[in-house]
Amino acid sequence: MSRRWFQQRERGSPLLLQLILWIALHVGRPFARMLLYPISLYFFLAAAEQRNASRLYLQRVLERKPHAGQVLRHIHCFAATILDRVYLLSGHHRDYRIEINNVRALLDLADNHQHCLLLGAHIGSFEVLRALAIEERPFRLKILMYPEHNKTLTNLLISVNPEIAETVIPLGQVDTVIQVHESLANGEVVGMLGDRAASRDKTVDCELLGGTARFPVGPAVLAASLRVPVILFLGLYRGNKHYEIHFERLPDADFRDRGSRSEQIQQWMQHYAERLEVKVRDLPYNWFNFYDFWEES
Amino acid sequence: MPKLSPQQLEVANLIVDVLNLEDVDANDIDPDAPLFRDGLGLDSIDALELSLALKQRYGIEVRSKNEENSRIFGSLAGLTDYIWRTRLDDKH
Repeated sequence: MSRRWFQQRERGSPLLLQLILWIALHVGRPFARMLLYPISLYFFLAAAEQRNASRLYLQRVLERKPHAGQVLRHIHCFAATILDRVYLLSGHHRDYRIEINNVRALLDLADNHQHCLLLGAHIGSFEVLRALAIEERPFRLKILMYPEHNKTLTNLLISVNPEIAETVIPLGQVDTVIQVHESLANGEVVGMLGDRAASRDKTVDCELLGGTARFPVGPAVLAASLRVPVILFLGLYRGNKHYEIHFERLPDADFRDRGSRSEQIQQWMQHYAERLEVKVRDLPYNWFNFYDFWEES
Repeated sequence: MPKLSPQQLEVANLIVDVLNLEDVDANDIDPDAPLFRDGLGLDSIDALELSLALKQRYGIEVRSKNEENSRIFGSLAGLTDYIWRTRLDDKH
């Protein structure tokens, strides 16, 4: 079996990430943006696994063999959003143009004092929403994640904004879902990303970009057991200082009929996968799963 | 396998009922075996269902980040101890 993201080393050395952070905070965004070109080139040359993953993905989404420039552009787009996280989380979010698309999906629920889960993906930058939630406080946002993954980056972001440490609900603990339940009861919104399956997760096969990939059942099962609506959210990067936060209500996750439960869960996750496909077809370089997503090798 | 105490059997029945463990006989649960992952293979969602049932049945709230949670959800014996200890405390 191919190496999944969970076994994959963190992208980039801690030193490199620290360097990006230092540059970001000391020399300002324009110069830091210039440095992204050599940094992306370094990644392109040094990280064969990620480069390959990018190629396989781009071939699917563009429906033709990508050239090196497109792979570089893909890596650069990812690096740019990493750099932006530093600014977004250090109080500079107002320097960005952040469009919010279909916020009604969220407000309609809030008007009725209804709890909800936000379901995102490793597409674009969910830090945009996190930054807005921390800085502008329209609502309190908690994020479900495995604490051990991407530790270097997480610690760096915490050093930029210590508040984000408080916004994480760690996955994989006995009381994880009890924490989610308490959070919702306190009026907080809980977000998670549903496109990556960790090795310990139960999964279903879904079609995405003409291939079959494994998706975790966790988001569907969690929403069904908490009996709360789910809203798809994506912080799409449109280039330079422009982000678009997209919200969209997903079908209610209600799988009470035991006989057809596994099919219904598959269909629910398939619908989510289809919505992701629509978005990456529009903005192909926003896909940030740099590993063998379809397990092709 | 050690025989269950009446209290342990009561809690074992609750677990089987609440979580619809159709293939499990409450009497067969090893009181000292882990309930989650290895033993009964319950997961974090089951932990929530169980905590809601404890509240309904015994009026006991299991909060997150309680240092005792790993023991409370660790085994049938641990869970039963916790329930009866908490009920005694409430009566005093």
